Amino acid sequence: MSSVRDDGPSVGAAPWVFLAPLLIFVAVFLILPLGFSVWLSFTRWNPLGTPSWVGLRQFEYLLTRDADFWRSIVNTFVFAFGFVAVGVPLSLGLAFVFSRARGKAVWRSIYYLPQLTNVVAIAYIWQFVLDDRYGAINRLLGMAGMRGPDWLTDPGMALVSVILVMIWYDAGKNMLVFSAALEAVDGEIYDAATLDGAGPMRTLWSVTLPIIRPAFVFVTVTSFITGMGFFALVLAMTGGGPRGATEVTALYTYRMAFEDLRMGRASAGALILFAIIGVLSAVQFRALRDRA
Amino acid sequence: MSRQMTSAAALAAATFAAPVAAQDGPLTVAMHYTQEQAAPLIACLDGYDAAGATAEYSQISYRDYLQTVLTGRLGGQSPDIYNVYSIWAAQMVDNGVLAAVPEDVAGFVRDGYAAGTVDAATIDGTLWGVPTEVSVYMLVSNMALLREAGIETPPATWEELRAAAEAVTTRNDQGRIETAGFAFADSSTGAGVVHPFYALTFSEGSDVYTDDFAEANLDGGAALAALTREAGLVQDGLTDLSIDAYDFPAGGIGMMIMANWYESAIREGFGDAFDTDVAVSAIPMGEDWKTLQYAFFMGVDSASERQEEAWALVEYLNAPRDGGVSCMGEMLEGLGALTANAADNAAMEAPDAFTAPFLAALDDGRAISQPNVMQAAEIEGMMAQAFERAMAGETTPEEALQTLDAEVEDILFEFY
Repeated sequence: MSSVRDDGPSVGAAPWVFLAPLLIFVAVFLILPLGFSVWLSFTRWNPLGTPSWVGLRQFEYLLTRDADFWRSIVNTFVFAFGFVAVGVPLSLGLAFVFSRARGKAVWRSIYYLPQLTNVVAIAYIWQFVLDDRYGAINRLLGMAGMRGPDWLTDPGMALVSVILVMIWYDAGKNMLVFSAALEAVDGEIYDAATLDGAGPMRTLWSVTLPIIRPAFVFVTVTSFITGMGFFALVLAMTGGGPRGATEVTALYTYRMAFEDLRMGRASAGALILFAIIGVLSAVQFRALRDRA
Repeated sequence: MSRQMTSAAALAAATFAAPVAAQDGPLTVAMHYTQEQAAPLIACLDGYDAAGATAEYSQISYRDYLQTVLTGRLGGQSPDIYNVYSIWAAQMVDNGVLAAVPEDVAGFVRDGYAAGTVDAATIDGTLWGVPTEVSVYMLVSNMALLREAGIETPPATWEELRAAAEAVTTRNDQGRIETAGFAFADSSTGAGVVHPFYALTFSEGSDVYTDDFAEANLDGGAALAALTREAGLVQDGLTDLSIDAYDFPAGGIGMMIMANWYESAIREGFGDAFDTDVAVSAIPMGEDWKTLQYAFFMGVDSASERQEEAWALVEYLNAPRDGGVSCMGEMLEGLGALTANAADNAAMEAPDAFTAPFLAALDDGRAISQPNVMQAAEIEGMMAQAFERAMAGETTPEEALQTLDAEVEDILFEFY
């Protein structure tokens, strides 16, 4: 018995030819560097010499002997959770308020402005504002007879300051995502809720939030990933100080690689961070999606 | 088809011809100075033509210098001549980046430079280049503030420094220091607290490492005394860690231990009052004071195919011209920087009152070279964090140094 399948005209290599630019790009700029980084994490290498294979020793050092690495992990979690816990509700609140405000396009543009500014410039501006002795905030508090906090030189306050500036920097972007989601909600649903006697809070809680939950999941997960891996603001604003209090893992591995020339150990640190972000993002995504 | 073949052949020819062209091109000198700062040196390079060998200048920012060098070498594009900060040198030598100095150039250096500075370019007894810019740390005082507090001369001992700092320090209504008696510099590398620590430890008669770099002396008495002195200034309210010595030119800081290269900023800040109100004096550790010096040196890349020509150019740039200053000396003089080149110092105009004590420290052998240890930048970063913890009172100087000593010896164990 034989059967004849008609697959239509043969397409040959044409799909691969069209896909080739993308595949080459992915191979050269994603797969190769990632593979090289994974391999490096099992070596000891400063870029002046040749790598030597050390197996799992870099991971062992970071996980069992390097207290600074663990402190950077803790700082990273505090930074990311603080950023998400305060930043996401704030963005949602701003989007909600501006969706009903006059001149909402203008308000949204104003809050989006920090995103158009270079992060290094932002860091320097906030350094001036938050400087313990000469900063605008402490000067104003001083005029009122109050001693302001040591925003950037007290280890606890420095981390809080960096989180607050990050929230300020990123709020506009997330606000736009929430704004788009809110605009997409059908007005008739609100009319129906009002007819059923729902007040503003009840409408927000039982109508608006469930409908915009996909946007909420997206913003929460992407903000968390951003918070776990972001370090440019910290580098420019505090340099990881005072005394390592704001040193997040991404900054710690950057320093390890390009200042201490420990490429193998830095790759291992980056992979550990990558694994943590991957696992937590998956858990977060699943939990939030399931609820939706 | 024949056109394709021709194009391929042309591409291949260009690819293989490129290195040949590079060999015949000008020798490249890579330094961190801007074009404006290096103008006298660039003029010398532009006019250089030794048996057909010409030269050109390449600027690499100080912050990115080592990274740029590394990336360039990975890509097979390295300059012929480097200007190396001495704390990078051990790693560059260990990895075979630098070429050994030929005997005639070594003689030129040993005969013509201060011995302490020659040490900065020496690793394991081998000289790796010709010293260029030197920086030395001294006590810099704002005499206007000291005189206001009834003190007419800069302190000569640590007790006098503490007394002067106490007399100068004032606080505002909120208890913040308004005028600081003393300040440490807030630098990203940690040098602001680490370099004065070196000066104090050397003055105590000790080094930070053993001679073979197999062990650190950070758990010793000299290091403890040095850190206790530094921490005491913060703990006793004579300064705090939010006060930055780089604000000295604004006039609100009494004293700092600072390198000579900051002169131009201080001069700009003090204006006409500079000569009367700024004094440079010895590290206030009594008669036996010592201090720290660090240096840059010109070295040649071991991968350069024209090492002999490169060394000839290095010597040309650093040798006196008709009894006058060398090209390098002219550039450093313009920058207000120091050199340990005896011929240049003899040919230059007499130093001003600010610079003279720094030069005297070099001449008298009081300025000891920053140790050329492997992973020096990493170690100094660790030192800075440990010292600041002790200064902030988060740990005692003893605990900070014990922990630091163990961490530093972990690193030394990797390499020595």
